[in-house]
Amino acid sequence: MIYLDYAATSYKKPEAVYRAVESVLRRGASVGRGGYPASRFSAERVFACREEVRRLFSAPSEESVVFTCNATMALNMAIKGLLPSGGRAVISGFEHNAVVRPLKALERRGVSFAVAAAPPFDRDAQLEAFRHALSSGAALAVCTQVSNVYGCILPVEEIDALCAEKGVPLVIDASQSAGSVALDLSRLRAARFLCAPGHKGLYGPQGTGVLICRDAEAATLIEGGTGSDSRSYEQPAFLPDRFEAGTLNAAGIAGLGEGVRFINRLGTARILAHERALIGLAARELARIPGVRTFYGGEDAQAGVLSFTVGDVPCETAAERLAAGGIAVRAGLHCAPLAHQTGGTLETGTVRASVSAFSTESDVEALVIAVRALSRG
Amino acid sequence: MYNGFILITFRALTHAQRGAKLLNARGCAASVVRPPQALLSNQCGYAVRLRESCADAAVKLLREAGMLEGRIYRKTGESGEEYEEMDSV
Repeated sequence: MIYLDYAATSYKKPEAVYRAVESVLRRGASVGRGGYPASRFSAERVFACREEVRRLFSAPSEESVVFTCNATMALNMAIKGLLPSGGRAVISGFEHNAVVRPLKALERRGVSFAVAAAPPFDRDAQLEAFRHALSSGAALAVCTQVSNVYGCILPVEEIDALCAEKGVPLVIDASQSAGSVALDLSRLRAARFLCAPGHKGLYGPQGTGVLICRDAEAATLIEGGTGSDSRSYEQPAFLPDRFEAGTLNAAGIAGLGEGVRFINRLGTARILAHERALIGLAARELARIPGVRTFYGGEDAQAGVLSFTVGDVPCETAAERLAAGGIAVRAGLHCAPLAHQTGGTLETGTVRASVSAFSTESDVEALVIAVRALSRG
Repeated sequence: MYNGFILITFRALTHAQRGAKLLNARGCAASVVRPPQALLSNQCGYAVRLRESCADAAVKLLREAGMLEGRIYRKTGESGEEYEEMDSV
């Protein structure tokens, strides 16, 4: 199989990830509940993951790294924890349903949201759209760093500065950027939460995610046992326990720790350069095929995601035929109808190819050959 | 078990791990343990165990890093649950 759906989940992972998961499954017990060796074994691996994640994002401390089951959970916790009833949020036009659906649900509590829409790959227009939308006031801003549909990189650092000027807290969705596009939280002023899945660019197992917190000053979505302050019926007020109720996915987190350690050793700059080169190759070669339309903004503007359409071939049909030839891509609206609306592909959807540190030029060449054959009917 | 050792309590496991990491990096050999129930007012928590000879240095390091959140105990007597609280340095 030629796997080009890393934007959905990572398929090939560093070998240490698999070993870590098995190791904790076989030797580890619950984290933060006991003092015996098996509990300490799991606890040490979970803490090691907090250290690696802290290092990758220059997070305030290991305690600021909260583990969730995915980015959707992290985004729900951040959005619902910060946005008051009746509050107004500003979001980019490229947000995933993991952002839009919680906001729609919150409309029942009087919450409203405005979309700072701008064309894909136009960073200046995106910044101006946020500036305009924030001028009417907001209680929260949410912005993805990379669109999961088009791969365009949004100017989150500049948006953070805008939000800081206006006193608006910012939530960053790093679902498609974590592990490749650098983000230094120590340089941001408005960002209160960073949300990322563990299983995409961080190469961890499914069932893992991170919520990096500037502080613990947000309402909780879930309350329960934390292995701390147990006599109290109140959820702890300190990190990470405040947002980590219930048993942690220790095996998954151990694997995630190895994935992030791999990234820290290689460096995000090297990974991004590799992914950009592959996407650039795919975009150039696909664009030469009659009838194929690619959504490519140039190497500097794009991360490891590329959407395209193949003439009049419905995108699901295209993906099905590619799959029959052993090529795994994703088609449709990618759980991001807002992004497609912004980019003008809501009616057709797109075929999306996405790469990782493990993808090769051969993978891209195979895709191009298959799409060429597909376009000929 | 803890003769010659002290315990510094923390509210949460991650806090104790972070404290132990700091102390180990600065030459105070520290390990994370579950302390006796009598030392935990809220019935759950963890502690860092280290040699009493490192007590002054450890407290200073933790205090300077803003991590000194619990109490410091020295084991006394022969039975397993007798501790006295030490004055903070």
